[in-house]
Amino acid sequence: MDTLLTAEIAVNAPRYRRKSSTFIDGIHDVPEEQGNLAPAQLYSTMSGRLFHSGRIAIVMVGLPARGKTHICVSMARYLSWLGVKTRIFHLGDYRRATVEGGHVPQDYFFPNASPSSVMLRQKILKKCRDDVYAWLNHENGQVAIYDAVNPTANGRLVLAKEFAKHDVQTLFIESYVDDQEILKENARNVKISSPDFYGMDPDEAAKHYLKRIETKIPVFETMNEAELNYVKMINAGRAFYYNNVSFNYLSHRIVFYLTNLHIKSRTTFFVRAGPATDEDSYKADAPLSEEGKVYAEKMTETLLRHREQERQTANEQGGTDIPLRPLTVWTSTRLRTVQTSEPLKEAGYRVRQRSQMSQINPGVCEKLSERAIRSMYPEEVEKHELDPYHHRYPRAESYHDLAVRLEPIILELEREQNDLLIIAHESVLRVLYSYLMHCSTMDIPKLKFPRDEIIEIIPAAYQNEAKRVHIPGLDPRTIPGSPEDIRIYVPHDNNANIPPIPGMSSPEPAEVPIASRPPEKIPNMAKDMVSDKVADED
Amino acid sequence: MALKINGLGIMPEDTRICVVMVGLPARGKSYIAQRAQRYLKWLSVPAATFNVGNYRRTNAPHPPANFFDTNNAEGERQRRAAADAAITDMLKWFKSGGVVGILDATNSTKERRKWVLERITSEGIEVIFVESRCDDEELVMANIRDVKTSSPDYVGQDPEQATLDFRERIRNYEKVYKSINEDKDEDHLTYLKIMNVGKQVFINRIQDYLQSRVVYFLMNLHIRPRSVWLSRHGESMFNLDGRIGGDAKLSHRGEEYARKLPELVRESVGSDRPLTVWTSTLKRTIATARHLPKHYNQLQWKALDELDAGVCDGLTYQEIADQYPEDFAARDEDKYNYRYRGGESYRDVVIRLEPIIMELERSEDILIISHQAVIRCIYAYFMQKTQEDSPWVPVPLHTLMKLTPRAYGTELQTYKANIKAVSTWRGKGSTAKHEDPSPEGGI
Repeated sequence: MDTLLTAEIAVNAPRYRRKSSTFIDGIHDVPEEQGNLAPAQLYSTMSGRLFHSGRIAIVMVGLPARGKTHICVSMARYLSWLGVKTRIFHLGDYRRATVEGGHVPQDYFFPNASPSSVMLRQKILKKCRDDVYAWLNHENGQVAIYDAVNPTANGRLVLAKEFAKHDVQTLFIESYVDDQEILKENARNVKISSPDFYGMDPDEAAKHYLKRIETKIPVFETMNEAELNYVKMINAGRAFYYNNVSFNYLSHRIVFYLTNLHIKSRTTFFVRAGPATDEDSYKADAPLSEEGKVYAEKMTETLLRHREQERQTANEQGGTDIPLRPLTVWTSTRLRTVQTSEPLKEAGYRVRQRSQMSQINPGVCEKLSERAIRSMYPEEVEKHELDPYHHRYPRAESYHDLAVRLEPIILELEREQNDLLIIAHESVLRVLYSYLMHCSTMDIPKLKFPRDEIIEIIPAAYQNEAKRVHIPGLDPRTIPGSPEDIRIYVPHDNNANIPPIPGMSSPEPAEVPIASRPPEKIPNMAKDMVSDKVADED
Repeated sequence: MALKINGLGIMPEDTRICVVMVGLPARGKSYIAQRAQRYLKWLSVPAATFNVGNYRRTNAPHPPANFFDTNNAEGERQRRAAADAAITDMLKWFKSGGVVGILDATNSTKERRKWVLERITSEGIEVIFVESRCDDEELVMANIRDVKTSSPDYVGQDPEQATLDFRERIRNYEKVYKSINEDKDEDHLTYLKIMNVGKQVFINRIQDYLQSRVVYFLMNLHIRPRSVWLSRHGESMFNLDGRIGGDAKLSHRGEEYARKLPELVRESVGSDRPLTVWTSTLKRTIATARHLPKHYNQLQWKALDELDAGVCDGLTYQEIADQYPEDFAARDEDKYNYRYRGGESYRDVVIRLEPIIMELERSEDILIISHQAVIRCIYAYFMQKTQEDSPWVPVPLHTLMKLTPRAYGTELQTYKANIKAVSTWRGKGSTAKHEDPSPEGGI
């Protein structure tokens, strides 16, 4: 039975992976050790449950194509970032694991479904809920996100009662959309690649798809249950209605996050700042060197060319002329990042400076070589090796401090609707990258961002995807490492099981001649993983 | 626009927001405004409140209810002039570097809101309307009795008479009151509507991060009357030695305080009504709370642990001055921002206390047993102490504080246990183990 179950999960739910590389979004991973996935946890409790909130079930409500999955995944990302143990339970996964291909009977969602369909529905629901309870009770979970349509008021009341019986508080989150434009856009974005609609005009496909939802799920009651805790997100965050019976800090925090979330698709690019004249000093805040200026030009050129290429590819696939999304640039207030953005500013792009994005404070390690640090602070180095993420050198910031400081940036990152280029110090890129790609805290201090690469993060409802774009023609001396970084020893990974991280696992410049390396893309496994999700209808 | 620009033309991003209060009198508007201002200032965001009532009072100090009748042309004119003066001052304040301005007035008609919106947005400042709606007559009356009869309008008048007059004043407003978007033609506004003390909340068109942050805070507020109790742990063995930090046990006198605390709390609460007790995770606070009645719920927060003194943990001030003379001087120079080697600054503590403050705002009847630096930060939040002053506030041992937030400020009562303890307060530059706090500015 056990092996059968494992096989079933492996076949039907490839997303429950044990381990993934840092180049794959880890939001659906099931980590083996606990406690490594909480970049900005403010404090810890014995139970591992935060904010003195008990166990919470967040129950999604909404028809397909309302951005539910996107909301779930984003929320899980943010809560995990805060240190709250969160897991998503997609009912669709259970449907697919029970019925081959997820092809349920025609009347599956009907109020007057046949007895066999009702039985099937109950079987699937039970299995999903059993997993929810098992996780909350035995794996110390705190927030279970239950992703399903939950179309009727009665069904929701029963659900809340059942969770309460298990001592779990329920918070419903409905995504309600009556703006036809948003509906069409969602349908287009999420479902366009489904084989059913191949070759169809996107608008036409969207219309068909929405029609199909209506036939399939004929009854949907929007939330109006005065006795339940619920948040109604109206038209993708334009407005919120919030019915509060017994909320606590964590629920408010979720609403705070949701007020910053939008469901439009946009890309985030990460690049390093160019090299400065005084690389070693943190306090000096030096301007760009000559090579730095060359870097800024080449980076800008590569980025703009890449965006244009992407647009052409999209047009070839989609058949219509899609305009480029506007691009906004964020830098820190450190001079070198601001100057790296100069060519873009001259080209007319909007550049914003954010003080929170300044690099990690090296404290006493400023201007010291690794050897000097080792001889002067042997005990600190020892502590650092044990926990490079949380350890703080005298007067310095730890990565944890940096993550807590960057929280407002995370929320603004979610809020931004334009494509976004972030020019920052490697330490800042590491932390922001880890939010978007859900990396373990053990990996964060080791992430590498060579100067000759633009990292592109493409969001998808189900999981984010990272690519890198090569910047050709740079002086090889300016590429590797982070000369202005704190030269603190970061232990090498002894775990041979972790596959070399594509693109990020120190490809030594000596091994790969930079000039000959073609612009490349990471083999995108994420796409295969979500292929079954694309055609999914809930 | 007044922008901060450094020598190289670098311009940090500036968002300026005007929070415009909306609602009938006695709906907790001033209270909300004052809390929002205090919270923002505590987080180092420049914030100020402009109360239209105060501007009106200069011309009409004790107006009768019919002054507020919309048919009273003279009253109407004076109230409009007061609003205009308040907005003018606010715009001036924005030019001098203000970030969040709060306009505290009823703004109860669509016409008034339109006028306010136009005046403020024309200066490039974002407007968010915040309405407090309450249909619970009992709550409104309680609010009138509690707050309004102590309002400057009714100084020296019979409270019963004042309450009746105020009820009459509200009726005049009710005649013309329109809730935001009640007629469905104000959907373009950015607004937050809090109904029945937060039971329902409606949020419309949030435009940026700072607005979402303000909204988040206001959602956590409630306007039911309540108090917060604060106490340090009983005297510890480290206190006796004049050592900072550590995780020491209570001294004999500290134990005595722990045994006395239940009585002290009951005296302050005035009944057997249970409080919820929050302690840190350190031995001395848990031990201090352990004799409190069984029906008091107790929770431990890591965030309430004492300021982490890093390498100086467990040292006396004299030892710190000897071993880290530069640090000792640097700390006295800017105590709020100074971060101990490998430890924390007061600013760090404030950041980690933010969830505690949020949770405090939405709770009732909380007793916090924590440590000197942490209590100072919480005290600074409620009493609006500046960043320069808050790290120096004397918080004596063996003393229970009761803080009661009111519309026009927080009320403080202290209850001494009359059990001797050493002083852990330290003046600027001093390395004394036990120094008596200067008489001024003490709690």
